[in-house]
Amino acid sequence: MELEIQYLLQLLVNGLSNGMIIALIALGYTMVYGIIELINWAHGDLCMLGGFLALTLIGMLGIATWTGPLGIAGVILLLVSAALFCGSLNLLIDTIAYRPLRKAPKLTLLVTAIGVSFVLVNIGLFWGGLPMDVFNGGVSASAPKGFPPLVPATPIIGGDSGVTVTVRDLLIVVVTVPLMVTLWWLVRFTKLGKAMRAVAQNPTAASLMGINTDRVVGATFFIGGALGGFGSVVYALNNGTISFQLGYRVGMDAFIAAVVGGIGSLPGAVLGGLLIGVMRSLSDGYLEARWTNTLVFAALIVILVFRPAGLLGLRAKEKV
Amino acid sequence: MRTRSIAFAALAGLAFAANLVGGLAMGPAPHAAPGQEGEKKVLKIVSSLPRTGSANAQTTTMVNGIRMAIEEVNATIDGYAIVFEDWDDASPQRGNWDPQTEAQNANKAVKDKEIVGYIGTFNSGASKISMPILNKEGLVMVSPANTYPGLTKPGTGEKNEPKVYRPSGKINYFRVVPTDDLQGAVAAEWTKELGAKKVFILHDRELYGKGIADVFQERAKSIGLEVVGFEGIDPKAANYKSLVTKIKSTGAELVYFGGTTQNNAGQIAKDLRAGGVAAPMMVPDGCFETAFIDAAGADNLNGKTYITFGGLPADKLTGKGAEFRANYIKRFNTEPEAYAVYGYEAARVLLDAIDRAESKDRESIRAAVAATKNFAGALGTWSFDEQGDTTNKVMSGQTVKDGKFEFVKVLGQ
Amino acid sequence: MRRAVRPICARQRGAARLDLIFLAVALLLPIADWAVGGWGLIDPMKTIFIYAILGLGLNVVTGFTGLLHLGIAAFMAIGVYAFAILTADTYPFQLGFWPALMLTLPIGAVAGFLLGAPTLGLRGDYLAIVTLGFGEITQDVLKNLETITKGTQGINPLPAPTLPWIVNDGGGYALGWYEFQTDTPVPWYYLFLGLLAIVVLCNRNLERSRIGRAWMSVREDELASKAMGIPPVPTKIVAFATAAALAAFAGGLWASSLSSSGEPSNYDFQVSILALCIVIVGGMGNISGVLIGALVMIGVNDILLQKLFTWMQSKNWTSTGSVFGSPNNWKFLLFGLALILMMRFKPDGLVPARKPRAHGGPTKAATTSGATR
Repeated sequence: MELEIQYLLQLLVNGLSNGMIIALIALGYTMVYGIIELINWAHGDLCMLGGFLALTLIGMLGIATWTGPLGIAGVILLLVSAALFCGSLNLLIDTIAYRPLRKAPKLTLLVTAIGVSFVLVNIGLFWGGLPMDVFNGGVSASAPKGFPPLVPATPIIGGDSGVTVTVRDLLIVVVTVPLMVTLWWLVRFTKLGKAMRAVAQNPTAASLMGINTDRVVGATFFIGGALGGFGSVVYALNNGTISFQLGYRVGMDAFIAAVVGGIGSLPGAVLGGLLIGVMRSLSDGYLEARWTNTLVFAALIVILVFRPAGLLGLRAKEKV
Repeated sequence: MRTRSIAFAALAGLAFAANLVGGLAMGPAPHAAPGQEGEKKVLKIVSSLPRTGSANAQTTTMVNGIRMAIEEVNATIDGYAIVFEDWDDASPQRGNWDPQTEAQNANKAVKDKEIVGYIGTFNSGASKISMPILNKEGLVMVSPANTYPGLTKPGTGEKNEPKVYRPSGKINYFRVVPTDDLQGAVAAEWTKELGAKKVFILHDRELYGKGIADVFQERAKSIGLEVVGFEGIDPKAANYKSLVTKIKSTGAELVYFGGTTQNNAGQIAKDLRAGGVAAPMMVPDGCFETAFIDAAGADNLNGKTYITFGGLPADKLTGKGAEFRANYIKRFNTEPEAYAVYGYEAARVLLDAIDRAESKDRESIRAAVAATKNFAGALGTWSFDEQGDTTNKVMSGQTVKDGKFEFVKVLGQ
Repeated sequence: MRRAVRPICARQRGAARLDLIFLAVALLLPIADWAVGGWGLIDPMKTIFIYAILGLGLNVVTGFTGLLHLGIAAFMAIGVYAFAILTADTYPFQLGFWPALMLTLPIGAVAGFLLGAPTLGLRGDYLAIVTLGFGEITQDVLKNLETITKGTQGINPLPAPTLPWIVNDGGGYALGWYEFQTDTPVPWYYLFLGLLAIVVLCNRNLERSRIGRAWMSVREDELASKAMGIPPVPTKIVAFATAAALAAFAGGLWASSLSSSGEPSNYDFQVSILALCIVIVGGMGNISGVLIGALVMIGVNDILLQKLFTWMQSKNWTSTGSVFGSPNNWKFLLFGLALILMMRFKPDGLVPARKPRAHGGPTKAATTSGATR
């Protein structure tokens, strides 16, 4: 009996730690959707590039050999630079690709996002072909890349037996929770946050009130991208592998999380992420792994049928 | 409106009629007559391998091998110029082999009468599509990588295999690699030798990975190993922590993964070690490439990983094979991946047959390939058996030491 | 009243004329190809026709009805596997080409109904996610139900089309069945062209039928059409089932032309996206646009780029050693940039659908606002 409870708890730990990463990336989705109703298809691929940037920095600066406090500084450096990179890149993409289409139909915007996603995937493929040691000299550009284990999988609780919580799980919590709290504070209590909510509610009215909507949308893209950048490094440190194709699955999971939680709702995205993570974990542990994906998507459909606006989403009034 | 619709329908009907007249009357196009102009007559060899996306690293080394073989004969045989074309059977949207592209390649190949040899495919699923097309026209096909047994061996796959791939009744498909039914079985026996009693089997749910895992499971059970789990993974998953929790709870003494590097073999190795599973991992030749070590991280593999391979690793080859390795390093400045030599061997056996064939038409070249006996190749001296399989059944087992593959022993002897 | 009706008639006359021009060019193409000595155009054209049918199916739900659908490939896969299981000689049914192909239509429609009925009350984006999820589920189920679908083995061989024809049965000419051969692409070409023409014809008639107008009214304004007595959900379900049926039909043709079901993962999200791009690039809601979209998207990819790359290879401009040297590795980039530029400069597609303009309403394309709202 005790063993079974241990097993369940371990699955929950696994699920929650995976779910936190999904949640972090889902926040980027949901923010952008909330403000311009765009399903930002390229978000997962943006995160993929964040992982490649981090790996490149590791190769250039030799971060893998840093130890002690310097090692922790290295991890922080990676997190910050990936966040800045992804944020700026997202802002750039918005400026070049999406901004000219603000008044265009939503589907036009979505197709543009799909196009951006293809471009980013291809950039990821080429990036992996750079002649660097961390990319294995660039000879097999498309192969998955090993990400050095900067954060060890040493158990904090448990160990050989019992429920194990590792340093990596701790890292995920230490990075994601403060970010989520900061984001919540930012949206709730700052001027920028108020402007964001105003633009989300009605862009025309917001601009009549003197809000520079382009700047607010740009800021949203930057923040969403930066969260994705943090997410990418946490993802890479936790899993230890990145590949140019990872954006699809990461993006998909995050996207589902955002929708299940109620797209546009920040707490919803977090809840959705945790739910997806736990669901995947339990399915792997108690059912067969090959049915996990089916289960997650089936659950998604069922949730939507019974709660059409997601778990925490407000039933939006139909715009006429 | 109505009349217009009818007129339109009539036109569509006319299209049907025209269709058959056109289709049946049109013979080969007037310009397609082979090798009549120019001083030097041309024989073409094409390869159809996935050149976009995930398998690119392996196919690149194969194509390098093919090019080397052709360069060795100075691209000329009996006054014929040998021209090589490197075709792609992958579509970029997919990043993987694509059935429609493979079918188009096969159809394109049969139509170009200068083409006398088709090297491919990489994925067994692709061969299922191109084999019957090429077979009808008697165009010989040599695969450097297909390991699905049903393509050649009756009784190993579906009950209509391999007959369905040979509509003309003749055998036009040959392969220079040993099949999965051999590799999966020797892997199970090696597991027993290593002393493991409980095995957990994972596979990537693909034709290759699932096939080899099935064979492994069957053999493992028959030689008295306990199979404590058999699961298909999701190759796109971010990690396998919970699966590892499950493996750990079963107390497995060895984890077998039927699958490829591309399908996340590296991630599995990592998660096993991070999850505190001490049991070693065994993988088939789909992971026998440096990219696997690269993806998994040497620390996670060293001394805890076994790799089976249908053949000998490049640095254990002797004679012609050792020569090939030296030349490859000289030509491309890099150690050949395990599959390079198969590309080379496939091209060489084809060139050898072209050389032996009396007239340089497709049928006599096909017959010459089929008649290959005691071929002194880079993989040793071998022949094609009556089903088109290589008689070379040397299997090897390796491990990973200090971040490098290390040969352990010859298996299944 | 008159003024409202007239432009529609003119539009349809124009469309019919365009169709006939297409048909004439398509009919002549093999002859031209044969005359110049075989450009290898005919075989890839099959793919274009199949994708055009798939695109026309998607156009019903996305173009006419304004619902974003991201899982059309799932219905194609259902058609492929239905056709394969109904015809392959390792299964008990062993139907011929024609009955099996005809059965793909109702099978697809039922699948579309089963998915659509519970979910079509959802708003745009949520519905898109449901279709996306269904695409993933279908792939996984086909892969995992090995006893029924053979998993990733694929089901083969599958029958080629047959047509009654005068054949030489050894002793002389008699009426018999001509079976299509994979190495003779011209009959395939004309057969698929003919089927495409029939699908186009049906689509044109659907477009201006009662249900077609209901679709468009739901797209333009769900609330108003409800007020006019058009129930939105059943209307959407019919659109959904029609699209699914056409996609399954395209799947049946695809399976027959390959003589194999391929693998479940051949019908993944990328195929759905390709179909969506065909519809959007051509011009949403415009049948001629979809045809042009298929021609451009598949033609550029399968014919033009292939020719270009072969030529580059013959000039030794490519290299296989590095990821940058192989032109195939640039395709994604080109494809993505093309989509971005297209949406920037020709967002309504190459052949924009002409809409009857609402009185005093905004001219901004209402085409799509419903799709993702």
